[in-house]
Amino acid sequence: MSGARTSLRISLASLRAHKRRFAGTFLAVFLGVSFLAGTMVMGDTLKASFDTLFTDANRGTDAVVRSSDVITVPGGGQGTREPVDTALVQRIEAVPGVAAAAPNITGAGQLVGADGKAVGGKGPPTLAGNWIEDAQLNPYTLTGGRAPKVPGEVVINRGAARSGKLRIGDTTVLRTPDPVRVTIVGVAAFGGEDGMGQTTFTGLTRADAERYLTPKPGLASTIQVRAGPGVGQRELAERLAPVLPANVEAITGQQATDESLTMISGTFLKIFTSLLLVFAGIALLVATFSIHNTFAIVVAQRTRENALLRALGASRRQVLGSTLVESAVVAVVASTAGLLGGIGVAAGLQALFPVVGFPFPDGDLVIGVTALVLPFLVGLLVCTGSALLPAVRAGRTAPLAALRETAVDTSGASRNRAVLGTLAAVTGIALTVTGAAGTSDVWLTGGGSVLTLAAFVVLGPVASSYAVRLLGAPLARLRGVTGGLARRNALRSPKRTAATATALMIGVAVVSLFTVFGASLKATMDRTVSRSFAGDVAISAPVFGAGGSGLSPKLAPAVAALPQVRTAVGLGRGVAKVDGGGRALTVTDPAALATVLDLGTVDGSLTGLGADGIAVARDEADKHGWTTGSTASLVFTDGKRLPFTVAAVYERADLAGDYVITREAWAPHRVQDSDTLVAVAFKDGVSTGDGKGAVEKVAAEYGGPTVQTRAEYAKSSASAIDMMLTLVYALLALAVLIALLGIANTLTLAVHERTRELGLLRAVGQTRSQLRAMVRWESVLVAAFGTVGGLGLGAFLGWALVKATDSSGTSAFAVPPAQLAVVLLVGLVAGVLAGWRPARRAARLDVLRAIATE
Amino acid sequence: MTTLTPVGTFAARVVDAFKVYGAGDAEVRALDGVTVGFPAARFTAIMGPSGSGKSTLMHCAAGLDTLSSGSAFIGSTDLGTLGDRDLTLLRRERIGFVFQSFNLVGTLTVAENITLPLDLAGTRPDTGWVDALIDVVGLGDRLLHRPRELSGGQQQRVAVARALAGRPDVVFADEPTGNLDSRSGAEVLNLLGRAVHEMGRTVVMVTHDPVAAAHADEVVFLADGRLVDRMTDPTAEKVLDRMKAFDGLAGAGAGRGTVS
Repeated sequence: MSGARTSLRISLASLRAHKRRFAGTFLAVFLGVSFLAGTMVMGDTLKASFDTLFTDANRGTDAVVRSSDVITVPGGGQGTREPVDTALVQRIEAVPGVAAAAPNITGAGQLVGADGKAVGGKGPPTLAGNWIEDAQLNPYTLTGGRAPKVPGEVVINRGAARSGKLRIGDTTVLRTPDPVRVTIVGVAAFGGEDGMGQTTFTGLTRADAERYLTPKPGLASTIQVRAGPGVGQRELAERLAPVLPANVEAITGQQATDESLTMISGTFLKIFTSLLLVFAGIALLVATFSIHNTFAIVVAQRTRENALLRALGASRRQVLGSTLVESAVVAVVASTAGLLGGIGVAAGLQALFPVVGFPFPDGDLVIGVTALVLPFLVGLLVCTGSALLPAVRAGRTAPLAALRETAVDTSGASRNRAVLGTLAAVTGIALTVTGAAGTSDVWLTGGGSVLTLAAFVVLGPVASSYAVRLLGAPLARLRGVTGGLARRNALRSPKRTAATATALMIGVAVVSLFTVFGASLKATMDRTVSRSFAGDVAISAPVFGAGGSGLSPKLAPAVAALPQVRTAVGLGRGVAKVDGGGRALTVTDPAALATVLDLGTVDGSLTGLGADGIAVARDEADKHGWTTGSTASLVFTDGKRLPFTVAAVYERADLAGDYVITREAWAPHRVQDSDTLVAVAFKDGVSTGDGKGAVEKVAAEYGGPTVQTRAEYAKSSASAIDMMLTLVYALLALAVLIALLGIANTLTLAVHERTRELGLLRAVGQTRSQLRAMVRWESVLVAAFGTVGGLGLGAFLGWALVKATDSSGTSAFAVPPAQLAVVLLVGLVAGVLAGWRPARRAARLDVLRAIATE
Repeated sequence: MTTLTPVGTFAARVVDAFKVYGAGDAEVRALDGVTVGFPAARFTAIMGPSGSGKSTLMHCAAGLDTLSSGSAFIGSTDLGTLGDRDLTLLRRERIGFVFQSFNLVGTLTVAENITLPLDLAGTRPDTGWVDALIDVVGLGDRLLHRPRELSGGQQQRVAVARALAGRPDVVFADEPTGNLDSRSGAEVLNLLGRAVHEMGRTVVMVTHDPVAAAHADEVVFLADGRLVDRMTDPTAEKVLDRMKAFDGLAGAGAGRGTVS
């Protein structure tokens, strides 16, 4: 008991005496835990906010009547349903226990703001629908003005009014996607807020909604039903079921809310938080190396002290315990601070997201028990776990070591390490290459990559002496004795140098991995687009998220009518089930398609598809065993199965998609017509500039969508990847920062350890600036080792990722030299920065005290 | 007290040197008005009991520490007028150091340790001179070894060679034999003696060992921060006797010190 107390007392005394040494460890744990806790708190908060949002949306609705068939295209969100007949409303109202029923017609509709620019459309949906008169069924409440009464009158949500600077009485345009002139007669709030998150909503009269948002009057997306007093939601749904036709169902309001919530948290939120958690994991992994290194050095420096304790009768367990307790104290303090930091991060992100246009609803921060306990435990585990090996080593200190002078572990790499590491590296690389190049087996590549990474870590000390010698060679030549000394210092303890550099190496490896992967994706997209797009200009609707309203189907004919234009083909989207799975269809004029898109080899003919002909991409046709003349049966949202004759099989699906049908064939199934792309080919002799100008003039009348030349179009298709990369870099910055703190900390400890030597150098004539340069160059060397290793590893793993995820063999692999050079430069500059403070501290050293004998 | 020797012949000297640590009751006068010159091409030993101020005197004379008042000169250069950078440059160009605990740079080889001050200055070592030095210290076969592979005596010989490598005006040695057995110690002292008598260097050595002091041409005695005696052509016996007599005097001096 008293032994344990002694251990504790020694630990606390040591912590007090060496607070600065643990600053790096503290920061590493703090940052890692903050990131983790912040992510979890934000995840919980977002989930709760969405919960509130959807609950508000269905607040007064006790049952929703809708078509039971749904077609979900991969990545297509909630899926597409057939509209229901509004005649059902009367039948529903006659059911006992029903207080009110109203059709709900919802479609895409984007408002144009007072400045002539579209409101929203960068992620969150831009919706239009009928203004429901029943105040309880309508989630929106008027806060000013009145409900729309005559055609052309609309109510808009307060958020849209604010961002579009629109006021009651203003006249503006609603794109559905065809421009509709509307007058704002009212402004509405959603559950007391400005809107449903950042979603914009325009409420039309029912007649307008039917006219612009449905193919024909008498159809609604759903029918919302309110129960009378004493009738529960479930009871209501059960009573409604008998009066509904086949393929139409009634679900409770609660079910509708749950479905929306599952959809959002099951897909989007899950991906988002998993992504953040992965990066929190990387940051913590890097932290592990930094912390381990700090404790290893501290234990080594304390060898004499520990040996003295052992000589005086302290047991192994007590010495080990005191080091572990030390780490636990740091861990508890840092993790607690990290939790607070995490809550701060979550609050900060919540405030930041709306500014950068992320579609997140706001609400109070939700701090769950898991979000507190888990990060705390992880912080504790990472910190004490990293200290475990050094603590064991401390416990093993021989009492005799008290009499020896040396305290630094200068042991190089053992033979076993070299052999084992090389073996692991060869196996790892072989597995990765086999998985990537041979069979495109993601699991094999993944396993190989992890093994390769582990091998790099194991081989670090072996490689560090060679690498530092090599990297430092020019330094010794250029910077003379200062550079030479820096190089020797970095070579002193290969294990320490490697451990310090490894943290940075992992960070840089992940950065380069994403850089290479992103560049390859971009190159692939660029290649596909420039290969498949045979037209001169492309008019495209914003592709990001669910916002916007697409392109008017009248745009393509209008452009085609221009004297400069040979062909203008609009491509729209439809959905159908093929063999039970939802598939996206391209709805267009197939006959003209070949003039604007390069479809590769085409078997059969794209002309005269009619209402029952279909063109299918080669891969898809092979999968189903179709050739020209085969019959493909498609099931549409109304549940009807229709046979289509495969009229053509084409090679390239990059832009055309897997299935192409005519507008005629799609007409019976369409809901709200819009195109996503209009591809335009000019007549011979028309310059791109002239043609583009003419097209832009026409496009301006249809909401001014972007008109791009072939090259511009290819480039902008890849811009989403740049956005992803920016996000990833921001997330990785933390891991790199922790790695740099590790370098700074190691150097500070090394400077402390070399006090006498530094004093001697100063005594025999090393100037302060030479001393500073020496420490900084050592830092740069360690950083260079980590950065170069990370670049190599990252580029290799990036290649593996590109190849492993490319089953069709069409992906390009690109190494972006400029970006990687920037990464290298950043690594070196970071090395200078990391060495700054240790160098200054070293230079401030008192020569006399340094050389004074003990 | 000072022998009236022309200024030009002193390699280093201090004039009215005071060095005070702390203030008020805690005030300690490490140097209490010392004026002493160390003649060029001579081997001078500074002796005195612990706390007599001999190390402080050496540190201040060598520009490692600054005086509270008074001046220190290397040749005709007043150290008080120099900033840190100039002091550093002066140390590397005009002064050599030998310390008690060898103080070699562990990452450098023997040869690199010897030329370290020259390398720091970026000057090309005088190969003939350095070779001659290496010959004298007798470590020709150990040039590519690291310091930890050498014995204590060998390490200290390397330190002497390093101190002489730049042909400094003066070599300051702080208890150079303090960590050595008597045989290794004698080798190092002989080396310092040859540096003075065969190579014409100046050596100032702080020691508390009468045997070591006997290698010097002259011994100056310090007690309570004051110069109390000088002795030319010392022998170990004479120095020991002087020190013994001095112990009583030092006790009286200490009593006086508390009064003042």
